[in-house]
Amino acid sequence: MIDTVMHRVSAVFLSILLLSAIPLNGQKKRAATPFVFTPQWTAQAQFAGYYVAQEKGFYEEAGIVVVIEHPNSTRTALDRIRKNQSQATTLPVAQAMEVMDSGIPLVNILQTSMNSGLMLVSRRGKDPLQQRGATASCFRAGFSQLAICMAQEKQLDYNWIEAANMLNLFVAGAIDVALCMSYNEYYQLLQTGLIDLPSEGVVCRLSQEGYNIQEDGVYMTRDAFRKDSERALKFAAASRRGWEYAAEHPDEALEIVMRYVRKHHIATNPVLQRLMLQEILRLMENEDGVRSYTLEPEMVNRCSQLLLEARIIRNPHPIESFRP
Amino acid sequence: MSKRIGLLQRIQSSLSARISLWTVLFAALVFSAALLVLGVRSRRAVREEAYKTASQVLDNTVYRVNDILESVELVADNMEWLIYKNLDNPDAMLEISHNVVQGNSFLNGCSISFEPYFYPQKGRYFSAYSNNNGRYVYTIQEGEEDYQYFYLNWYMLPKLLLQPVWTEPYSDQEIADEGKMSLEMTVSYCKPLIGNDGNFIGVLSLDVSLKWFSDMISDVKPYKDSYAFLIGRGGSYLVHPDPDKLFYETLFTPALVGEAPPEQIQLGKDMLDWKEGMYQFKEKGKAASYVFFKPLMHTGWSIAIVCPVYSIFGGFNRLRNVMLLNILIGLLLQFLVLYKVISKLLRPLKHLAGHAETIASGNFEVTLSPMDRTDEIGVLNRSFRYMQSSLITYIDELTQSTAKRERIEGELQIARDIQMGMVPRVFPAFPERRDIDMYADMFPAKEVGGDLYDYFIQDEKLYFCIGDVSGKGVPASLFMAVARNLFRVVAGQGMTPEEVARQINDTISRDNQQMMFITLFIGLIDLRSGSFHFCNCGHNPPIVLSRSGAAPHFLDCHPNVPVGVAQGFVFQGQCLENFRDTPLLMYTDGLTEAEDADHQLLGEDRVMEALSATPYTNAANTVLLLLDTVHAHVKDAEQSDDLTLLCINTL
Repeated sequence: MIDTVMHRVSAVFLSILLLSAIPLNGQKKRAATPFVFTPQWTAQAQFAGYYVAQEKGFYEEAGIVVVIEHPNSTRTALDRIRKNQSQATTLPVAQAMEVMDSGIPLVNILQTSMNSGLMLVSRRGKDPLQQRGATASCFRAGFSQLAICMAQEKQLDYNWIEAANMLNLFVAGAIDVALCMSYNEYYQLLQTGLIDLPSEGVVCRLSQEGYNIQEDGVYMTRDAFRKDSERALKFAAASRRGWEYAAEHPDEALEIVMRYVRKHHIATNPVLQRLMLQEILRLMENEDGVRSYTLEPEMVNRCSQLLLEARIIRNPHPIESFRP
Repeated sequence: MSKRIGLLQRIQSSLSARISLWTVLFAALVFSAALLVLGVRSRRAVREEAYKTASQVLDNTVYRVNDILESVELVADNMEWLIYKNLDNPDAMLEISHNVVQGNSFLNGCSISFEPYFYPQKGRYFSAYSNNNGRYVYTIQEGEEDYQYFYLNWYMLPKLLLQPVWTEPYSDQEIADEGKMSLEMTVSYCKPLIGNDGNFIGVLSLDVSLKWFSDMISDVKPYKDSYAFLIGRGGSYLVHPDPDKLFYETLFTPALVGEAPPEQIQLGKDMLDWKEGMYQFKEKGKAASYVFFKPLMHTGWSIAIVCPVYSIFGGFNRLRNVMLLNILIGLLLQFLVLYKVISKLLRPLKHLAGHAETIASGNFEVTLSPMDRTDEIGVLNRSFRYMQSSLITYIDELTQSTAKRERIEGELQIARDIQMGMVPRVFPAFPERRDIDMYADMFPAKEVGGDLYDYFIQDEKLYFCIGDVSGKGVPASLFMAVARNLFRVVAGQGMTPEEVARQINDTISRDNQQMMFITLFIGLIDLRSGSFHFCNCGHNPPIVLSRSGAAPHFLDCHPNVPVGVAQGFVFQGQCLENFRDTPLLMYTDGLTEAEDADHQLLGEDRVMEALSATPYTNAANTVLLLLDTVHAHVKDAEQSDDLTLLCINTL
């Protein structure tokens, strides 16, 4: 089932990347409609700050009505944005850069991630960086750009397999190396019992290999932002408040996340969500332990440079192009 | 607390209770040991039986599941040639898949899917898919832009592994909105299709509803509250009675946050390694359980049966509890019966104790009835009665002898008074005469003694004597009385001391069958002339004192022999002229031989030291001084010999 869902999400998602934003409706109508936020994935602790802001009434206090609508197999986050059904979504920097390179100008209104959660996990009990020519899975839905860049630069010569869900491929031994998010798939792999902790010997974190590029941020199409900037900035501020509250009250935040998880019947469990929230909060802190909620120019420039070298994008995208 | 102490004291004070308690405790110990051995062995047997039962149930379940799996694999093997035969006709694939589903009711669906553009005329996607929706079988080509099957597990696994493979369960819903997890799960047997050139060209996939297995496995309940679960190759629960765990959790989920017991982790690893076995462990918040597990080799899955310990050992525990209760009741009854029997057997002891107390209070007349028992209690009864009669006799004898002794003691006291009345004890001895300073005292070692002294004046002559009869007590006192009377009679005739000695000696020696003798010092001071005439008959020589402070010394006198030793002995007298104002101290050996507690004698030297240290003042002081010296030496020791002191000074 997960296969089916993920496949459909990714298929629609990618097709939408090629489309440009549809002109938005009039200001009055906009003001009357709620601000729809669509996270890039199904309900999980990766989006805890937004759920907390909603449940604790931070959006309401900011004077905006926010609706959180998750993507599904027929309507991805960017599809919703394109059809003006959703005002904002979350994307990693590299993914946003690829979308912008395809001709859709995006505005970053809130940057939550300060670190990369990408990691490679090996099945054979070896360092993934030592497995040249291995069969490696990457995300069918994107987000894999920097791992591909690193593999190229390190001449790992991986045979990259796009998979909607790499978990069963990994378990069945069909792939040697799996590209994971440290807050999600990594814990799912640990949950299979195939990897013993500590996992240092079979894990490679991109953040420790010179590929520490920020990930999740909240993006709007530039047109949408221009026409609804006031609500967008309120949404960003209230969301930030939600994340701060989640960081200070992780147990309560986890309860809220689990309410969303149950409501949407997500195949997960409280343990995974608790670990995901811990890791997401860790990734939100910069090297000084501060959640700054800003894009780091060095990281953006490095990302742009890496993607250009890997020919994933054609034009450089400096940090200014993301700014409102 | 006080109640407990009271009970303890009652047990301690009751022999019946103690014997009963020890017997019951010992029995309890024996029963406990037997129960322990029985319990350990029984538990082992029950566990082995449970293992056997679970293994049989597991074998049966695995067999039934494998039966379905093998049926599916057989269908795949049997239809494969049709695909290859019609490989150039894509529309035939639709028909083949339709017929397969139609012909095999246990199949949910069948897809024959090909690599992109394998059939150029069909475009990028071609997947012939038939599905049995419960009412009819429909067939479609399901590959499209929105359903890129190449990226799905059921297609990728056989493609990557190039061998037939069973997928993990997945939802067979057309569209699973918002990732909604359905319990209608499907597993697929997927076979790679290989072209003539040996290249991978597509996948044949046969779908079976997981419900086939889950119903079968859910029914497995060999024990009360037991349940079975099925895990996939990634440890996830494919069948489990708890819907929160189903597809959402794995055996290792609790281990991620350190909440899994090590046995659970090992169980998971063993199940993933397709091992067979048993573990016992306790999950947080749940009862301890045994888990029996066995792999399903076709799929790589593993089935486990979880049996709570309490249900496996339920029958055993009930039996054990009944036995324990019976034993407890038995021990209690044993205690009560023992207590009663022993109390009855020991009851005569109580009577004996009562009689003993009565006798001890002085009532010897109480009678103890005889007993016809031959055991220890009977022996004790007889012994007690014998003791009682012996005691009565003894007490009678004791009463008589005590009365006799008291009478003798009374007589002796009278004898003492008589004896003490025989010697002059009033001082000053001659109050009308200022020229005589005299003092004397006598202390018999027993009631009566053998010492004597006496003095009298006749014709201005002062006669005096001091003596010591051999031996002590009544015989010596009688002898002393005889000697004293003889002295009075003989000396009263105006004889010299040596004549007096001779007369007395002859008289005593004549009928002296007891061979008793007496040492005597007989003196005569002529108060007019001041001469001192004396005869010493084997007595201690007197000590000559001085008023002027000169050192005391023994009177130089001829020893002769004691009176009564040799009849007809001629005693030799001595005479000193001008003896006025020469104090003379006479004594018996009770002075120099006074013994302290360590039998050390006072001795002549210490007597002389005492006399030297204190200048002579008068006769009484000298006697008292020596008595003090004796008392200081003897202290609390019993007096060893009769003591007599006589001091005379004439002016």
